[in-house]
Amino acid sequence: MLKGAEIFLKCLRAEGVDLVFGYPGGAIMPLYDALEGSGVRHILTRHEQGAIFAAEGHARATGQVGVAIATSGPGATNLVTGIADAKMDSVPLVCITGQVRSALIGTDAFQETDVFGLTLSLTKWSRLVRSIDEIPQVIAEGFYWAREGRPGPVVIDIPTDFLKAKMEFSGPVKFSPKPRPSDTKADSTFADRLITLLQTAQKPVALVGAGAKLSGAISELRSLLDELNIPTFATVHGLGAVAPDAPYYLGMVGMHGTRAANMALHENDLLLVFGARLDDRVTGDPSRFAPNSKIVHFEIDPAQLDRVRQCELPIIGDLAQTIPSFARKVRGAKLPDWSAWRTVACGEDRAELDPRGLSQPTIRFLDELFGRAPKNSVILADVGQHQMWAAQRYCSDLPRGFITSGGLGSMGFALPAAVGVQLSKPDATVVCVSGDGGFQMNIQELATVRRLNLPIKMVIIDNKYLGMVRQWQQLFYQRNYAETDLSDNPDFVEISKAYRINAVRINEDVMREYPVTSETADALEKFLRSSEPELLVFDCAPEANVYPMVPAGAALSEMLFEEE
Amino acid sequence: MHAFHIHYRNTQGTLMRILTAVSRRGLEIPYVVASASGHGHRADLLLDVNAKQIGQLCRDWHAIVDVIDVRVGVPTPEMLESATGFSGPHPPASANASGRSAAAMA
Repeated sequence: MLKGAEIFLKCLRAEGVDLVFGYPGGAIMPLYDALEGSGVRHILTRHEQGAIFAAEGHARATGQVGVAIATSGPGATNLVTGIADAKMDSVPLVCITGQVRSALIGTDAFQETDVFGLTLSLTKWSRLVRSIDEIPQVIAEGFYWAREGRPGPVVIDIPTDFLKAKMEFSGPVKFSPKPRPSDTKADSTFADRLITLLQTAQKPVALVGAGAKLSGAISELRSLLDELNIPTFATVHGLGAVAPDAPYYLGMVGMHGTRAANMALHENDLLLVFGARLDDRVTGDPSRFAPNSKIVHFEIDPAQLDRVRQCELPIIGDLAQTIPSFARKVRGAKLPDWSAWRTVACGEDRAELDPRGLSQPTIRFLDELFGRAPKNSVILADVGQHQMWAAQRYCSDLPRGFITSGGLGSMGFALPAAVGVQLSKPDATVVCVSGDGGFQMNIQELATVRRLNLPIKMVIIDNKYLGMVRQWQQLFYQRNYAETDLSDNPDFVEISKAYRINAVRINEDVMREYPVTSETADALEKFLRSSEPELLVFDCAPEANVYPMVPAGAALSEMLFEEE
Repeated sequence: MHAFHIHYRNTQGTLMRILTAVSRRGLEIPYVVASASGHGHRADLLLDVNAKQIGQLCRDWHAIVDVIDVRVGVPTPEMLESATGFSGPHPPASANASGRSAAAMA
């Protein structure tokens, strides 16, 4: 006879879980009581939101399912932002929440919350466990759905009495779903139809999103793009899927994308989309998005098709299968000469950023930092101006090398996510770039970093504002900086020292030297090569802006640039 | 008005997921009936939606794990009649002399 908690942990192990993140509390205590000797390592964060973002970091860095644990009531509600974040960014996640005793459910018992109902619209699948017997089946099914198709978050809510009860355990179970007659997959004719579209196209382009990376078909995608040799760009989550030095690669597209990428996306007549949702940050005004384009959409999730406009050729299926199928056809096909279009789209007059932007001290700092970081580095960005600067300057070809909260845009994501990344990739250099606003949203996780002695390289781009909101206030609200002034920030260096973490401060003026002084270079090298956690506060101009910028509601071609 | 017929497995929360796909768009649901049908369950909904919303809803419903099939059709006269046939509110009964309520008040 085993307790429900022991069975639960054995089932987690059967799913390959050896690392979980969480925060204990009353209803989930029986699970914590059974942790020792279970083979599951638990990481105590200092807030449930820290736990779920750390689980996301682990999942995003490895492709494995992340697991977050919280107790009932406030523990469970503190997971909600992370669940929404995982839903938007297709992160496989299983959240385990303790629930009050089954006999008390529905009585407004102490720390009782309907987490099942609360998360229905945010989860891909969820269950309130109704008996100890259900535990093996629920775990098998939950992990299946977290991984299947477009990955996403799952919630398993378990009353505390089922964790304490005992039963005979005959071992973990496997789950296989019943097929649905309405499921469709791309048939073998799509590649021929796509070749025909390419043969009549004059200005084809390719857009690469997260789906291409999640499929694992990166080498096949790169070979295909080499073969096609058409202007190509990536969403923020597609960064790293295409080698940044490929001659046809134009960088990031969208609200803060490069001039070349946005213009090519606006002007093309055939758009090949590889695993991207085409959300509003990528399309600009949907009614003026790629006005002359026919859209060919490679997508695993049928729910993402036709969201902006009816696509000419929907190709539903795992990109790991559809990309190679298409690539085989391309190799034998006679395709037009697109060199004239390539010259326009990839030409130097569409330089990646405006010249003034490149000399901006924060951009120079990020170039120095990323340029010196080892090749195996994973860069995390929080949410705001620094996120867009980091995305613009990210220069690695590691598919899982740039991690950020893109869809939900959750400030406070990066620091706890970096904990999950560093634990999953102990040999990688993990660089966590935050703003002064977002860093304070989960600053308590410095204690987790210290406790585990994780050598995370934390950077705060400190402009003493909620910078992105301030930028919008400057450009669209007549400089009415309502409630975005953070000039009363604490001294981050002193705070870091209180957590027994080394910290230095660098002023942006040092980035006005060309090249940087040896003193600055040494400081950056020391920061990156340290075997300890390190914090670097980069003081930057309060009113620095991110450019280019496509204003909300504008077409991609209507970018704003820094004024001369 | 359009009629939607959604065939689903009656697992925890599936009907609610079907309905929240509607409510998140701020749409009213003038008619909904859910009942056993064959090997699964079927929800019939009447919604005032445009062509774009029809496409979005059908795709969102299809993405729900336990939804088996989604169909769109013309509303039946019965659906249209039921949609306008509300008979007024039924609030909970106030405490009165009946035994249970009286005991609760004591």
